[in-house]
Amino acid sequence: MKVSIVRGGGIAGLVTTTTVDSASLASQEVAELRSRVERAGLSDAPERSGASGGQPDRFDYELTVEDGGQAHTVRVCESDLPGPLRALISYVTSLPGRQERVGPPG
Amino acid sequence: MTTFDSMPACCIAPPDLLEAVAGQGTPEEREAALRTLTASETSRAQRASVTGALSRLTLTIADVAPAPGMVRTVYDAENGGDFDLPGKKRRGEGDPPFGDAAVDEAYDGAGATYDFYRTVFGRDSIDGRGLEIVSSVHYGNDYDNAAWIGFQMIYGDGSGQIFTKGSLTKAVDIVAHELTHGITQFTAHLVYSKQSGALNESFSDVFGSLVKQYGLGQSAEQADWLIGEGILGSALRGTALRSLKAPGTAWSTPTGGRDRQPAHMRDYLDLPDDGNPSNDHGGVHLNSGIPNHAFYLAATAIGGNAWERAGRIWYVTLTERLRPRSDFRQAAEATVRVAGELFGVDGDEQRKVRAAWQQVGVL
Repeated sequence: MKVSIVRGGGIAGLVTTTTVDSASLASQEVAELRSRVERAGLSDAPERSGASGGQPDRFDYELTVEDGGQAHTVRVCESDLPGPLRALISYVTSLPGRQERVGPPG
Repeated sequence: MTTFDSMPACCIAPPDLLEAVAGQGTPEEREAALRTLTASETSRAQRASVTGALSRLTLTIADVAPAPGMVRTVYDAENGGDFDLPGKKRRGEGDPPFGDAAVDEAYDGAGATYDFYRTVFGRDSIDGRGLEIVSSVHYGNDYDNAAWIGFQMIYGDGSGQIFTKGSLTKAVDIVAHELTHGITQFTAHLVYSKQSGALNESFSDVFGSLVKQYGLGQSAEQADWLIGEGILGSALRGTALRSLKAPGTAWSTPTGGRDRQPAHMRDYLDLPDDGNPSNDHGGVHLNSGIPNHAFYLAATAIGGNAWERAGRIWYVTLTERLRPRSDFRQAAEATVRVAGELFGVDGDEQRKVRAAWQQVGVL
């Protein structure tokens, strides 16, 4: 399983991409990750498309889970983040085995 | 999104009715009526009528005039999110320092921003009508951001990655940048997408920098024209988040990322506003470099303190001329017109403002 999170916006306007691959995680971490992905209910979350609108300098997220040949992506503004999705994001972005890249938009 | 319409006090209600409400209404109705009685004094006749009404209530205009000065309240979000706001109250207006750096810096930063707008432009708070400035600090966990969220400020503690820990409340230009988003919300209401969104960002950078320059007593020549100087975390190398003087030069990353802000229309980055977080609402934090640089060029060409002439031209443009979908060219033309109105048609200021927009390829 692979989880990637793209975070854009904020006052810095930077794009931070965080990726974790279950192949490089400890088994306990994989179990925790799977459980958080399940609780986040990604397949039920509506996929947003089109102009995002919204408030200046807030974070926008795009979260993609690839598992067993299937991929699911959701986009959400932080002000609309449901608790379980917030918990998944904060877990992934604090895992020691994560890969992280910061850059400009575009 | 929460929006507030700035409704002017109505001048139609007759003083007799207002007087009746002021005398018999609920405390809220009474206050509203009293404010209207004073706010609607547009003529000598009305003034006499109002004064008469007030004297029958044994009050004077001074008793009911809008409170001069600011009202700041700072809360601790205790690492919670939007649903936990505002949090626990830590410091109200006039209270002594609370002893938590984030609380006291947010209080002081709101004060510096209020003072700037009040003293330089005569503006009474974010909405121009004395809005209480609410701030919540310690928002989220290691949250690398600060934002005006439509009705209040939130400040994270910083993770050390994008911003050094504790820096978001320290940098007054960051505080003023965010509070200016509030002023834009109550005035031009620039839509946060593509060029109008880049203008929204640019006005926040311009006034963020001006609040800092005003506090330091720096002329346009002396100012560093940086946003977020000295607060970058470990993922970034460089001096600041953005530079109005030299857009595109503020930072880089060890893996080859760099500040990509353009300073001229030929380098405009036409990103889509498609909901993809990588596209930044159509490059609002990138293309803001163009109007940012135009302001820098105008302010340094005019000389002296940037807030006195260039700043006033930009302020009147933002608060009285622009529309939600205004683009770069419309903003440029508006500043040129305002410069003529404020300082004389074909005067030094108007010529230098026009030249600045020509130099960045907008006019």
